[in-house]
Amino acid sequence: MDIFQNLALGFEHALTIQNLMYCAIGCVVGTLIGLLPGLGPLSTISLLLPITYSIPTDGSLIMLAGIYYGAQYGDSVSAITMKIPHAASIVACIDGYQMTLKGKTGLALFTAGISSFIGGTIAIVVLATLSPALGEVGLLFGPADYCALMLFGFFCVSFVTTGSILNGLAMTLIGVLLGLIGTDVNSGQMRFTMNLPFLMDGVGLISIALGCFGIAEIVKNLDEHTELTPFNGEIKLMPTWPEFKRIIPSALRGSVIGSFMGILPGGGPVLAQFAAYAAEKRFSKYKDEIGYGAIEGVAGQAAADEAAARTSFIPLMAIGIPENAVMALMMAAFIVKGVQPGPNMIATHPDLFWGLVASMWIGNVFLVILNVPLVRYWLSVFKIPFSVLFPSILFFCCVGTFSINNSLDDVYITATFGLIGYIFMRLGLEAAPLMLGFILGPMLEEYFRRALLLSRGNFGTFFTRPISGTLLALLGVFIAWQLIAFFLESRKSAIA
Amino acid sequence: MNNLNLVRGVFLVAISLAFGLTSFGYKIGDFSRAGPGLFPAVVSGLLFLIGIASVIKARYVKPVPIDYNFRNIVIIIVSLAGFAFISEHINMLVGIFFLAFSASYAGRNNSLKRNIKIGIGLSLVACGFKFLLHLNLPLI
Repeated sequence: MDIFQNLALGFEHALTIQNLMYCAIGCVVGTLIGLLPGLGPLSTISLLLPITYSIPTDGSLIMLAGIYYGAQYGDSVSAITMKIPHAASIVACIDGYQMTLKGKTGLALFTAGISSFIGGTIAIVVLATLSPALGEVGLLFGPADYCALMLFGFFCVSFVTTGSILNGLAMTLIGVLLGLIGTDVNSGQMRFTMNLPFLMDGVGLISIALGCFGIAEIVKNLDEHTELTPFNGEIKLMPTWPEFKRIIPSALRGSVIGSFMGILPGGGPVLAQFAAYAAEKRFSKYKDEIGYGAIEGVAGQAAADEAAARTSFIPLMAIGIPENAVMALMMAAFIVKGVQPGPNMIATHPDLFWGLVASMWIGNVFLVILNVPLVRYWLSVFKIPFSVLFPSILFFCCVGTFSINNSLDDVYITATFGLIGYIFMRLGLEAAPLMLGFILGPMLEEYFRRALLLSRGNFGTFFTRPISGTLLALLGVFIAWQLIAFFLESRKSAIA
Repeated sequence: MNNLNLVRGVFLVAISLAFGLTSFGYKIGDFSRAGPGLFPAVVSGLLFLIGIASVIKARYVKPVPIDYNFRNIVIIIVSLAGFAFISEHINMLVGIFFLAFSASYAGRNNSLKRNIKIGIGLSLVACGFKFLLHLNLPLI
């Protein structure tokens, strides 16, 4: 019964006019930016993070969540209609675009919209049920356990995000080092500030996010000379009853798969879509049609995508560990607003936590009632040439960065990280693990030093405590497995 | 030297040395009472090892050339830095015009006339932010 009471509290909080407005704005703006080529949820959130600064905490978090799933939906629209995907909608390109070629764009978009709604609704039930339970487990964690958990998260995420554990891990470590720039909280020592006063408080999160994701992504698009053809076709949205009946089972399967994959460390929407698509190919009644424009190929992955996007909030809000780069940015937004995600979040900010959960469902409704009918207007965004659009995006970046502290130094830092982000990209080093390292690095140092202080410098504390011992043992197995794979791969390349 | 794997390894080693050598300038302490230099030194050490592993790996795998084009990134960075510099020394309105005007040169189909139009358009948007939405922008 607690869950219902809590959800009622959440809805009471989320259904205020102000929060409804922020939720709607987030969904609409997220969808619009998500439609733009090359700008997925990650870039969209990083670009729009500064505009939430002047908004109250609950409103800004609700708006950011709206931006997140709005951007995901926008992303799937561009994938279905123009085969321009980002990470969040790679699979939508397969059957979605095939449906467009068959003149069924409207049906594909309706399927994606309604499946996302089903996926999101099921995931919210999972989120509301599991988060408090996981939060209680989180209270059992001591400094050594947190330290081990963070190390474990680093390794898992580095591996999943980039494919190459060495590169991912290197980027995580660079992120940790960047996170240490500024004043050491224990000794007051300035570290890596190069005697620049504006670095005393550290490097701004927004500057890194905008530089490494936003600006690097824009330059990548400019380098690739991506040319777009505006979509001018007719759109018929509503499906027939037999078509509608085909959506439901696939969406339900996708929701279950997505809800589960979203919780796993390093999981999230991208893996969930692939898993759901694979499941449809195996179990669907129409499996032979999948790959050639089948409704099931769109419904399953869209539901899984949305479900995983919701349940990936569970590790963040229950134990304070962001499981992917988008969640790392969301965590940044929480911290900027003075809310520390973790086991205590539900106890200290119940209105915020449950309000956010409820707003996710409201956001879902907004996506269906606003975006599905308005999709034909959204597509006109493609008619704005990128050469006009990108100076405007840079302008918003500059104004946003400046307005954080009313400081132009932040713009210089953003420009510097734009260059660094570009170099990373060209060297095949993904910026996502860097973000994770940057956020968790200072906490890892704090817990590491605290654990060793309590144990008087005895490293045994990391191995003798049950939680940290288990996590480190798992980590050991994981590293051994990776090392073996690395040597086998090197040997194979050398022989070839 | 145009080998992606090798350059990546050298780049990682360079970053680790930059942070690692600096961290030895701070008090290291011991594990029971860690100084501000200990943790960064440990992290830099790990990064150094990964960098070295990448360099060694680069010797055994087929070289991959680096694909780069510095034209666009230079234009964008100069535009951003120029915006900050001009805003600091002249005013932000001129800075915004410079940002939009110069960044537009990174686009494929740009022309002087169009770049000026974009510059003026975004300057007007900034004025809208300042005077209609009361955003704290020191435009003049």
